[in-house]
Parts: sequence; C-alpha cells; structure tokens
Amino acid sequence: MKVRTTFAIGLAALALTSCSSKAVSSQDGTGADGVKTGKGVTKDKITLGALTDLTGVYATLGKSITQAQQLYFEQLNAAGGVCGRKVDLLVRDHGYDVQKGVSAYSEVQPKVAGITQLIGSPVLGAVLPNLERDKLLVIPAAWPSSVLKEKYVQVVGSTYEIEVINGIDFLVRKKGLAKGAKVGHVYFEGEYGESALKGAKHAAAAAGLTIVEQRIKPTDTDMTSQVSALKAAGVKAIVLSAGPKQAASLAGVAAASGLDVPIVSNNPGFAPQLLGTAAGPALQKNFYLVNGLQASSSNVPGIKALVAAYGKKYPGQTIDNGVSFGYVSAKVFGEALKDACKAKDLTREGILAAHRTHAAFDSDGIAPKLDFSQVGKIGTLESFVQKPDAKAAGGLTTVEGPFTAEAAKTFTVG
Amino acid sequence: MSRPPLTALLWLPLLILPFYVDMFWLQAGLFVMAAAIGAIGLNLLTGSTGQLSMGHAFFLAVGAYGYVYFAGETSGHVTGLGLPAPVAAVLAVALSGLAGWAFSPIAGRVSGVYLAIASLALIFLGQHVLFNLESVTGGYNGRAVPPMKLFGFAFDDSSELIVAGVPFGGLERLWYLGIALLLAAMLFARGVLGARPGRAMNLVRDQRIAAAALGVPVGKVRAKAFTLSSMYAGLAGVLLALTFQRAVPDYFGMLLALDYLAMIVIGGLGSVGGAVAGAAFVTLLPQLLARYSGDLPLVAAPGADGISPAVAARYLYGAAVVAVVLFLPTGLSGLLSGRLPGLRRSATPMKEESPQ
Repeated sequence: MKVRTTFAIGLAALALTSCSSKAVSSQDGTGADGVKTGKGVTKDKITLGALTDLTGVYATLGKSITQAQQLYFEQLNAAGGVCGRKVDLLVRDHGYDVQKGVSAYSEVQPKVAGITQLIGSPVLGAVLPNLERDKLLVIPAAWPSSVLKEKYVQVVGSTYEIEVINGIDFLVRKKGLAKGAKVGHVYFEGEYGESALKGAKHAAAAAGLTIVEQRIKPTDTDMTSQVSALKAAGVKAIVLSAGPKQAASLAGVAAASGLDVPIVSNNPGFAPQLLGTAAGPALQKNFYLVNGLQASSSNVPGIKALVAAYGKKYPGQTIDNGVSFGYVSAKVFGEALKDACKAKDLTREGILAAHRTHAAFDSDGIAPKLDFSQVGKIGTLESFVQKPDAKAAGGLTTVEGPFTAEAAKTFTVG
Repeated sequence: MSRPPLTALLWLPLLILPFYVDMFWLQAGLFVMAAAIGAIGLNLLTGSTGQLSMGHAFFLAVGAYGYVYFAGETSGHVTGLGLPAPVAAVLAVALSGLAGWAFSPIAGRVSGVYLAIASLALIFLGQHVLFNLESVTGGYNGRAVPPMKLFGFAFDDSSELIVAGVPFGGLERLWYLGIALLLAAMLFARGVLGARPGRAMNLVRDQRIAAAALGVPVGKVRAKAFTLSSMYAGLAGVLLALTFQRAVPDYFGMLLALDYLAMIVIGGLGSVGGAVAGAAFVTLLPQLLARYSGDLPLVAAPGADGISPAVAARYLYGAAVVAVVLFLPTGLSGLLSGRLPGLRRSATPMKEESPQ
C-alpha cells in the first residue's frame, strides 16, 4: 500500500514537471525585424536593471543616480527608443545589504539585458562570479581598479588611484608642495581607501614626498585624533579618501586647531549638503575635490542641458555628482544599445560587443572622453579639481581640468 | 522514530519545487534553509539552555570562511589548502565547534545578558579579523567559494545536467543538499532535546540551583550547549557560503546576529520547528516585500518621491514582528501546534514558558 502511494506520488510529480515552464527552451531568437534578441529584450521593450541603495548608507547617491538614469531613458524613449523598442529601467533597492543585493540580482538577472547601476562593492563582489555565467554587462557606482580586468564590469571614469595621483600633482603645481614635504593621507579601510593609498604612494615617490598614513573605519566620523597626529607630524597637505562626514570633520577640526593646509579628496568625499553645516566655511577655504566629472556649475553643453532637464523633472532637488554619473552611465548603455541595434544583435553578447567598440566615448563634456575598448585599461587618466562654493549649482566650481598628471601615465594597475 | 505522515507530506512539495520556480525562489529558499540550521543552533543555546548569545554571526563566519579556506586553492593574494570539498565542510563545522569551545570558559561561567555582552565582542573581533586577514578572507571584497563536490558530482553550473526536461544548475542541485542538511540538523536537535542532555539543558535554564543539586554540571552543560550551537552556526555558514558563491566579510556583522535572535523569538523559543518557521519568516519576508511591494497601493516606484518599496517593506516587516510578539507569545511554533492537530505530536516535548 505504502509503496503504491509513493509510486503514485512519483508519477504525479513526473507528470507535473513535464509541463514546467522551466523546461529547456532557447531564450535567444530573432524577431520579425531581423534583430537577434536575448534575455531582457522583447519585440517592443528592452529592460535594463538597476541594483541601487535608496534606504541604506548611500541612499542620497542612489537616489540621484537612479533619477538621472530614469531621466535619460525617458529622453531616449521620447526620441523613439532603440530599435523601435522602449527602454525600461527595473529598479531594485537593496539598502546596502549583501543578501538582499544578491537576491535582487537573482530576481532581476533573467529579466534584463544589462545592469546600468550597481551600488556597493560587497554586492558587486558577491555577484561577480555570476556575471560571467549570465554574460551580463554591469556598471558599478564605484571606481575600484580591481574590477578593471573583469570583462563584464565597466568602470565609468578613472579610478581612485588616478584621482589621488592627479590630486597630489595639483598640490605640487598649484599649492607649492616642495620636495621632501610630508603629506597626510586619511583613508577608509577596505578597497576604496587602499586603492587610493596605492595611488598616493606612487605619486609621492614621483614627486619626492612622504606619506603619513591615517587609516580609519567608515564608522569613524570624528577626525580630531587624525588631525592632531597629522599636525604633530608636520604635514603640508592632506589627502582624504573617505566619505562626506569625514571631510566635514577633517576640514572643521583642522581649521579649528590651526592646521591651515590644503585638503584634496577623492570624489566620494563631498556632498553639497555639507555646505549648510558648521564646516561649510572651512571647506570653502581649504578643500579641493578631485573628480572624474564636470562640476554641475560649469558651462559645457552637456552639463547645462542635464541641469536644466533634471531641474524640470525633479524640481527643488539637489544636483550632485550622482546625477552626472547616473546620466553618463545610462548614456553608456544607451549608446551600446543603439550600436547593437545597428549590428542587428540585441543579445547580451551583442550589447557587450557594441559597447567595446567605443574607444572615445563622448558625453557632451560631462566626463572626459572615455575608452571602453580594452578590458583591464583605465577609461580615462583625466581628472577635474573642484572647490566647494555655496553659491554654485551643485555646490562646486571648477578650479582646473581636465588634466592628467605625468605620474598618472606611468601608473600601472596591479 | 515514528512521525506523523502529515509532517512528511509537508516536505514533498519542497522536493519538486526546483522543477518549477526560478533562481530567485531557489536562492531565497536556500537562504532560509541555511538560516534555519543556524537558528536551530541558537535556539538550542538561547531557547533551551537560557543563554543569550549575540555572537552567532561570528560562528557563521568561521564556518563560511573555514570552508572557503580548507577547500579553496592558493591563487593570487589568497591562500587555501585545496582539500576535497566534503572534508573541508566537515572541518569547517569542527572549526566552528572549536571556536565555540574556546569561548566556552566564558560561556560556562556567565549567563543571560552578561553572556550577550561578552559574545557581542566576538562580532567586533570577527569583523576586524575578517577585514584584515586578507590571505584567508580576501579582505573587503571577499573571496569566491569553491563549489561542493560529492563523489564526483559538483553542485555548481560547471556540468550540464537535465532532469525531466529541466536544466539543473548549481542552485537546483544545492537545494537537495540543503534539504538533506536541514533534515539532519532538525532530527539531531530533536534527539538532543528529547533525551538526557535536553532535560539537563532545560533544567539549567529554569532552575540552575536545582540542576546543580541533582548533579547536573551547570557550567559544563552551558559550555557544551555553546559548542553545539557554534557547530550548527558553522554548518549554516557553509551552506550560506555555497549559496552566495562568494563570502563577503561585511555580511557577518551585528545585524545578522540580531536577525538570528529575531528568528528564534518569532519562531518560538526552545522549539526546533519554531526555529525553522522563524528563519523562514525573517529571511523571506523582507525579500518578498521588496520584490512585491511595488504592487502595493500607496507605494511609489523606486527612485520616485514618496514611500519607496524598500521603506514600505521595512515598515511591514517591523509591524509583522511586533504583531507576532504581541499576539503569539509562544511564537509561530505555538500557532502551528495549536491550529494543526497533526503537528502537535511532532512539536518538541518542551515547556512553552519563556526562559527567564
């Protein structure tokens, strides 16, 4: 009796599975218009994914990037879309939680043709092995050099190392930093800070400077002890590879304790909201941001159009770096899709191949010309130096750039 | 062990699930299984022995990284021993047990909130070590997890396998491994709780002095419970690592430890089935809400103004936790054993009162 029941259940299970929707079937096909399509592309829609952080530590950045990307795809669709198809952005918020990020990736992956935004190095690290299997092109909202060798990851812009090298070059040329001087470097533990440190050491060796290291945790927001240590060491300038909170504290405490030296920071070290805080005046005096993107207050046509369109769609919202970055990275995908359409191949491989043909990607001046043609190569060696200014749009004005330090050309990733 | 047929029937749908559902569900299910194993372990300690531990995430990390280190190969800046995967998994569980045993002089001596604070130190210690011991953990970005291989059968996507017309990738294969491990973990915990050690643990929890007077070595029981619970955490860590395919230090932090406490409280202290139910509740709910909250009324699309789905998911999750604690003092296990008569006998023979 029991055996028979088990047997019956087994048979029923087999019968059920034969009609499973998961059964093997080819995903790639060719549409009526002769365009090869793959996952995420139907006859009237192309879906792209965004794994972002709207509720965690990078919520401000995530919101700006997401809105800017939605703006870009809205414009793209208004202009007719790509290959007669609308482009849709599927947004998932993981709140900077690795497990949620990985689940969101698994959920989104079968539905999209690419991922235009991925916030969070830990999340990127966790999905990295799957990208190869899924052949999915991803643009991370980070600039580490360690992923340059990954075929399916595209860093848009330069890297943390290059920013620091260009920043130190700026200090030497414009701030009179002489040979033998000491430079303090306050950096986050983890990949961001440690990549930046590599750059700082390279630049210091080239310019004959000494680096005084101060390693901090992302949870450290009071820079008093770092400032006193750097003051005691007699530094003539400070490099900061941390977040906006640390920048505010560092500039404020340094000014209060009479350490009147220039501070150059990697691009994640500033947010326009800082100018409203007590550290605002100190930041405007001594703080310089090394950035891979034009300041929102500059006059290049791409920025002007973006600021106008963004202000119209999201009135009253702060325009920060995330907006420019989100727009440029969405455009990187948009252009890849257009070229993939010309080649009549909208599969994931087709999109990647089209993307890799761009050796001098032009974003109307929002970013320097970017080279995506070689895996393992930094997209650009150019940076801008910007200065906080409470009166400017986005809180930053351009000081210099784009420029490339000599030392940046001799830097090798590895 | 004669078990009611109804319970066995509940497992059947789980066996055919991989033929139907997509990766998202399989992954979510595997997270639940791993969390359930870990929660059973914590429940043995907190629910049954009355020892509050905040260090559970640390032992999960020991299990996960232990496996990665033992099974991984030396390449680039990371080192590994390159042992066969099953051996590495067993060693990783043993290593977690060893770590728990090393902590047991403290676990045997202090109790309740004091142990919670002492074990909290493990989390911070663990985070520091994980971030800095780069040759083992890969540092901030973590390290790839070598796939499980049993008798030449790999639990990953490397070889093609089609069962009844459905392609079986890594997650589908892992699913059955997860079910087997979870079943074993549940049966073992029931065995422990139903026999002498379980009675000793309960007595240590309820009446420490009476336990000592009856000849139960209180310190030793606490220390052993802590070691056993760490081994469960280690096993959960191994399964988690296999599901993630990459072990990232950031994950094994304070929040994870709190999640595990939430699981056993919501599930019902001291009950094995409750721990599993709690693990499912805590692991699945946020993911489901995040996935489907876009379809709820009054929720704005992600990126737009208003309550975003993720925020709505958090509110709902918080409300659900409060509701369970308010209206189900014995947790989900109380609900299950109260409503479904067929399950009553399978619930562990334990007092339903809270440990303190």
